[in-house]
Amino acid sequence: MSAGTLIAASAGGVVEGSATARPAPDGRPGGIHYFARFGVTEALIAEALAAALSRGGDSADVYFQHRVTNDLALEDGAVNRAYAAVELGVGVRVVKGDQTGYGYTEDLSPSALRACAQTAAAIADGPSRAAPERFHLAVRLPQRYPLTLRWDEIGSERKLPLLDGLNARAFAADPRVRKVNVHLRDEAGAVLIADSEGRLVEDEQPMTLLALSCVAEAGGRREQGGYNVAGRAGFEFYGPERLDRVVREAVARTTVLFEAVAPPAGEMPVVLAAGSSGILLHEAIGHGMEADFNRKGVSIYADKVGKPVARPFVNIVDDATNVGARGAINVDDEGNEAGCTHLVENGVLATYLHDAISARHYRVTPTGNGRRQGYAFPPMPRMRSTYMLPGPHRREEIIRSVKKGIYCQNFTNGQVNIGAGDFTFYVKNGYLIEDGRLTRPIKDVNIIGNGPRVLEKVDMVSDDLEIDEGGWTCGKDGQNVPVSQGLPTVRVSSITVGGRGA
Amino acid sequence: MDPAETMLETARAAVRLAERKGAREAAAGAYRVRNVEVQWRDGRLERVSEATTRGLGLELYVDGRYASVSTSDLRPEAVDRFVEGTVRLTRTLAVDPYRALPDPALYAPQARVDLDLEDRHYQENTPEARRAVAEGLESAARAAPGAEAILSVTTSVGDTFAETFRVHSNGFEGSRRVTDFWVSAQVSVQDPDGRRPEDWAAAAARHRSELPALSDVGGEAARRALSRVGSRKGDSALLTMAVENRAAGRLLGSLLAALGASALQQKRSFLEGQLGRKVASRLLDLKDDPLLPRGLGSRLYDGEGLAARPFKVFEEGTLASYYVDTYYGKKLGMAPTTRGPSNLTLKLGAKDRAGLLADLGEGILVTGFLGGNSNSTTGDFSLGVQGFRVREGRLGEPIGEMNVSGRHQELWPRLSAVGNDPYRYSALRAPTLVFERVQFAGL
Repeated sequence: MSAGTLIAASAGGVVEGSATARPAPDGRPGGIHYFARFGVTEALIAEALAAALSRGGDSADVYFQHRVTNDLALEDGAVNRAYAAVELGVGVRVVKGDQTGYGYTEDLSPSALRACAQTAAAIADGPSRAAPERFHLAVRLPQRYPLTLRWDEIGSERKLPLLDGLNARAFAADPRVRKVNVHLRDEAGAVLIADSEGRLVEDEQPMTLLALSCVAEAGGRREQGGYNVAGRAGFEFYGPERLDRVVREAVARTTVLFEAVAPPAGEMPVVLAAGSSGILLHEAIGHGMEADFNRKGVSIYADKVGKPVARPFVNIVDDATNVGARGAINVDDEGNEAGCTHLVENGVLATYLHDAISARHYRVTPTGNGRRQGYAFPPMPRMRSTYMLPGPHRREEIIRSVKKGIYCQNFTNGQVNIGAGDFTFYVKNGYLIEDGRLTRPIKDVNIIGNGPRVLEKVDMVSDDLEIDEGGWTCGKDGQNVPVSQGLPTVRVSSITVGGRGA
Repeated sequence: MDPAETMLETARAAVRLAERKGAREAAAGAYRVRNVEVQWRDGRLERVSEATTRGLGLELYVDGRYASVSTSDLRPEAVDRFVEGTVRLTRTLAVDPYRALPDPALYAPQARVDLDLEDRHYQENTPEARRAVAEGLESAARAAPGAEAILSVTTSVGDTFAETFRVHSNGFEGSRRVTDFWVSAQVSVQDPDGRRPEDWAAAAARHRSELPALSDVGGEAARRALSRVGSRKGDSALLTMAVENRAAGRLLGSLLAALGASALQQKRSFLEGQLGRKVASRLLDLKDDPLLPRGLGSRLYDGEGLAARPFKVFEEGTLASYYVDTYYGKKLGMAPTTRGPSNLTLKLGAKDRAGLLADLGEGILVTGFLGGNSNSTTGDFSLGVQGFRVREGRLGEPIGEMNVSGRHQELWPRLSAVGNDPYRYSALRAPTLVFERVQFAGL
């Protein structure tokens, strides 16, 4: 099914994680630095690419990945479990027209790499092509993940007090809190991409994520909620303000649920709060603008570029350049420059999100959206950080304009059918709007709409854009990648709310 | 040494290494998996992916503390450094008195049945045969009545050969070899109003000979997609809901999420304290059966090495068992059952889908869920749906962009009929289910 999904982080879900790797200092010119420790050389890559092109593919690339993930989890008052994972492997891709052959292996020896490349080569069936012997830097890397405290230099003894402190503060914040889970993840490592054009680039890609969730009890009722933050950053990410916010928001978002009512069922105006409501864009338009679906003619947005899809004050971008954001990248997983792409410009559908295959198909420059989960997966067009630019209205004005509707604040997940255009997102926290005022809290309600129809109904956009700091993960065709999203306060004049009140 | 022997030895060596580095107990899992997938689109090959992949996981019990690790970097010196580093890390954690390997008494007796999970003809599958199947699936889709409206057909064919090995320092050693074969077809069609609705059909089996005819899968995908043309949003209303077999697993799955010992112990289960109580209609009679020959969820031992046995999860609507692993079982003072589901089978009714629809008269048949979520702490759920209006006992117009909401505590007592048509291509073999008075949201 051509469906994209989006899931928020939670402290309940377990991950894997770690080891020590010492990446090279930033800012070095081309050549192999990080992967030299694994015996990767230009000669090894040249040999693999020669095998990849041995049956006449148009182009080929190799993608080496080393990722070390560490997880610490606190449950029942103690940091009593750790998870660590090391991923090391290489994927070889051969492209012939829009056809792809792919192989991967964890064994980086010349013989294993050659066998893997020959597997991928089988997509083509012709005389061999010449492969490069020397490589040059694919792109100059911007510094979008500056960090001061590298994860491979932070021992668990520095991380443990952070989790213990959050636990104590969450319990102290409200006597109704009965269970607290804290989960801290960090990732260090790098990717190396080299292709048959002789381009080569290495990028070190840090990531961290912190989730606090709690269960509260009152009057025989239980509610569960939480808050999470994520970014491409080091240990310095966890400053006092951010940690305060994690505790405050996690507890507030849980305890407010005791007052929550079921919202009504049916169509009504919906106001989306600034920040994580960007989930609307991710589902309503982002996936549908991924060029693979359009190249295949299966997206509801196929053939709509250049046509008006929203009011003139609606501008939507997918941006790789937000420094430190979870969705930021210096370079995409095909070695292409990654910048800011306009999906909708002044209400007009502007640019699809391209990988190299779709860019060739449409004869445009790749937009740097070719991404992959890891070495076991070929790249495809994916979002990075998707958000709407500020508009002409004010938040207060927007809320005041609604007689009866809902205000959505916090979300857990969303999904879309790319061809029919139907999408959903699940609201964990929000409020009823009655006569222009936020009144009773609401919870646990799914919202369902149709992408193009809902974009047309975005009739007010505020000036208060926020990029959400949460740990969003986008799923497509079995591959997960980290993304960000954002929104100013927005009004959708009518959409179906899956409530059950009157 | 053959590769399987090598991976078993890797697991054994990892346990010995962990003990040498200071772990009091350890468990290791190693795997070697060959994956092949062919994707075909609109008359040509789209993508071929093939790889043999391997990895190692290790659980360490060090001075009353616990950590679990995994790596795909199996170079001996790298594994050595990794284990040493992790033992050091584990020593910095809090002591956890509930962490230990399972009681070895629970490793036996394993059932003496041949689960027949490996197709011995696996090696006979060829790239040409896979391509021919992928192409055949497309032809079948394009042979469906009304195929002029088809925009695109994507099919995929894949198979997996997996060997996994598990070794515990307190005496457990297990190995298994399984094969999986799957086919799928996805069809997009043109709706005159500009939408491009899509639907899919798929099948999976342990043995290649058990896959259905290509015409069944390709044809079903096309028929389903074509039937979505002209879908409309219906009125918000309380209606009888039938859920098609292949979609019903989503509902059962969210109910099962509240049965895990970790959810119980962490106060995140609305089914806490309900063991032995009636929580659903008597038609909910659900068995966890790990011993079904050729089953997609079959196993002789579970993820902790515990000998697998069939048990009732719900018996005539009464909650009969939780899913209890060693760790949370100790925390709760409950005997372990197993950490998570194997195959799930429901006691079947007498009627097929058409028969159930004829009985229900007016309502909605849900053929797919879209997004949404279920809150295992409170039992609240809210899910996007698509399907068909049912009028006078027959399928009516397609509906979409609608939603169902409620609470599991209220939904399952309203289960009013169960079909005779379990979905074969999932470990969760749900039949068509019918529920009375469900809140739909639409217009």
